[in-house]
Amino acid sequence: MKFQIPIGPQHPALKEPISLRMTVEGEIIRDADIRLGYNHRGVEKLAEERNWTQNIYLTERICGICSHSHTTCYVQGVEKLMELAPPRRGLYIRYLVGELERVHSHLLWLGVAGHEAGFDSFFMYVWRDREIVMDLLEMISGNRVHYAINAIGGVRRDIDDALTAKILEGIATLKKRSEYYLQLGANEPSFVARLAGVGKLPKERAIALCAVGPTTRASGVAIDVRKDDPYAVYDELDFKVATADTCDVLGRVVVRVLEVFESYKMIEQMLHSLPDGPVAVKAPRKAKPNEVVSRYEAPRGENIHYIKSNGSDKPERLKVRAPTLGNYPATVEMLKNGFIADIPLIFAAIDPCICCAERAVTLVNARNGEESITSFGDLRRRALAGHHNAPLKGNAVWPF
Amino acid sequence: MTDDELIEKIRKDLAGQALEVLHPDRRRIFLKVAPEALVSAVRLLRDAYGFTHLSTISGVDKGETFEILYHLATTDTTVHVRTEIPKSHPHVESITPIIPGAILYERELQDMFGLSIDHIPDPRPLVLPDGWPAGNYPLRKDWKFERPEEIIPGGKS
Repeated sequence: MKFQIPIGPQHPALKEPISLRMTVEGEIIRDADIRLGYNHRGVEKLAEERNWTQNIYLTERICGICSHSHTTCYVQGVEKLMELAPPRRGLYIRYLVGELERVHSHLLWLGVAGHEAGFDSFFMYVWRDREIVMDLLEMISGNRVHYAINAIGGVRRDIDDALTAKILEGIATLKKRSEYYLQLGANEPSFVARLAGVGKLPKERAIALCAVGPTTRASGVAIDVRKDDPYAVYDELDFKVATADTCDVLGRVVVRVLEVFESYKMIEQMLHSLPDGPVAVKAPRKAKPNEVVSRYEAPRGENIHYIKSNGSDKPERLKVRAPTLGNYPATVEMLKNGFIADIPLIFAAIDPCICCAERAVTLVNARNGEESITSFGDLRRRALAGHHNAPLKGNAVWPF
Repeated sequence: MTDDELIEKIRKDLAGQALEVLHPDRRRIFLKVAPEALVSAVRLLRDAYGFTHLSTISGVDKGETFEILYHLATTDTTVHVRTEIPKSHPHVESITPIIPGAILYERELQDMFGLSIDHIPDPRPLVLPDGWPAGNYPLRKDWKFERPEEIIPGGKS
C-alpha cells in the first residue's frame, strides 16, 4: 500500500523553501515530487527595472552562501556587454574571493553532512576551521556574507602586503587542519559506512538529468565550468577537477574534501602571482544592445546568467539559473528506493541551502493512514537509532 | 573540435534549417532554427556532437514574438539554440523526451511566459502559487506588478 508524505514547504529564513511529496511503501520511498515557488521573489522581473549597478546588489541577494558567485557571474557578463576589460589585479582579487567563498561553502557543507550522519564532533571541527576563512573574507571585504566587493569593471577594495601575508597564514593553518578530513575514512569507518550506498545517482542518470557541480562529479562525470569554459584567470591556474565514482553521498563528501584542497592551491597561486596596478576601471552607464551568456562554477555547480541589453541603463532580460535548480531532478532520482531515514542526508548532499534548518515532516502511517508531525531533528534521531548497531558495509571504502 | 569546425559541421548537417549561426565569442555559438526544426536540431546536437547537458532554457518577450533559447553545453563549448514563436500562437514542442533534465525549465517557462509546451510529460505549474489568477504571466513585458493596498486591522492610527 502506497502513501504520500509531504515534506516542507515553509521555512521563512531560507531562499528556496521547497515542498517534497514522497510516495512511500513502508519505509521505502517509491516516488518523490517537487513543488517550488514558495518564496519566489521575482528577481528576474525586478532586475528589468533596476540599472546595471543596482543589479549587482540585487543578484548578490539571490543566495546567502554563494552570494559572490551570482555577482561575479553577473558582472563578468555585463563587462562583456560593455566591452570593458577589468585590470588583472582586480580580476585576481575577484576570483580569490570566489575561491575563499568555495572553501567556506564546502566546509559548511562538510559540517552539515557530519551532523546529518550523526558525527557531531566532525561538524564542530569543520565549523571551527570555517571561522578562519570567514575572518579572511571579512578582512578582505568588510563583510562575512554579502561581500559586495564586485563592481562593473573590477573590484571595490584592494589588498595590501600585510593582508596577503595574513591570508597565506590562514590558508596554511587550514591546510594543516584539513589533513584530518583526508584521514577521516581511515579513522572513522562508521561514518563511511553510514554514507556509502545512500542516495545513488548512476552516471548515465546524472548526465541525462543535467545535474551540476559536485553532485555530478561524485557520479564520475568530470564537468567543471572552470576547466571546460575557463573564464578570466582560470586558464592561468593549475588545478585538477575532483571526481569520485561511487555515485553516492560518500562520493559527494570525497569530492568536496578534494575540492577544498584544490581551492587552497589556487588561492596560494593567485596570491603569489598577484599583478600590480589598479583594481578597477570606470564603467559606462549604458550598454549597447547585445546579449551574453555568462557561466560560473559556484560551490554547488554551474551558475548561468543570460543577459540581454537594449541600449539603456537597464537590462532587457536577466535570466538566472542557480545550481540547486539544476540538481532537483537528480535529487528525485536519488531519493527513489531509499529510506525515509535517509531523506535528510540525501537532501543535504546536494547542498540545497535549505538543509541546515529544522523542517516539519508529516509522516503518514501506512497501516491506518494516521498523520503525525515530526521535526527534521526527530527524523535525524530516528535515523541514528536505526543505524546505531548496523553492521559495517563490506563495500564501503574510503579512497585515501 | 574547435568552434569553427563545429559551426562548419552544424551548417552542413542543418542545411536549410539553421536560419542563423552567430559566434560572438570563444565557446559561444548561437544557432537559430524555426520552431518546427527545434526538436530535430536538439536531437542532432545531442546524438552527433554530445550536447547532453542543458544548462537552462531562457525566454524573452519581444513584443509580437517570444524568443526561446536552449543553452546546451559540452566540456568543450556551448551552443545556444534560439527559436522564435508568435505570441498569437505560442506553442513549442517539448524537448524533455530527448533531454530529461529539461522538465523543470520547461515548466518554469510555461508559468512565467504563458506559452504552451506541447507534449510535456508533466504540465503542472512549478513556481507560481496555487491560487495565482489565470492569464497572468509575470515575465511578459506588458505585465506590471501592482502592490495590493495594505490593510492594517484596526486601521492606521
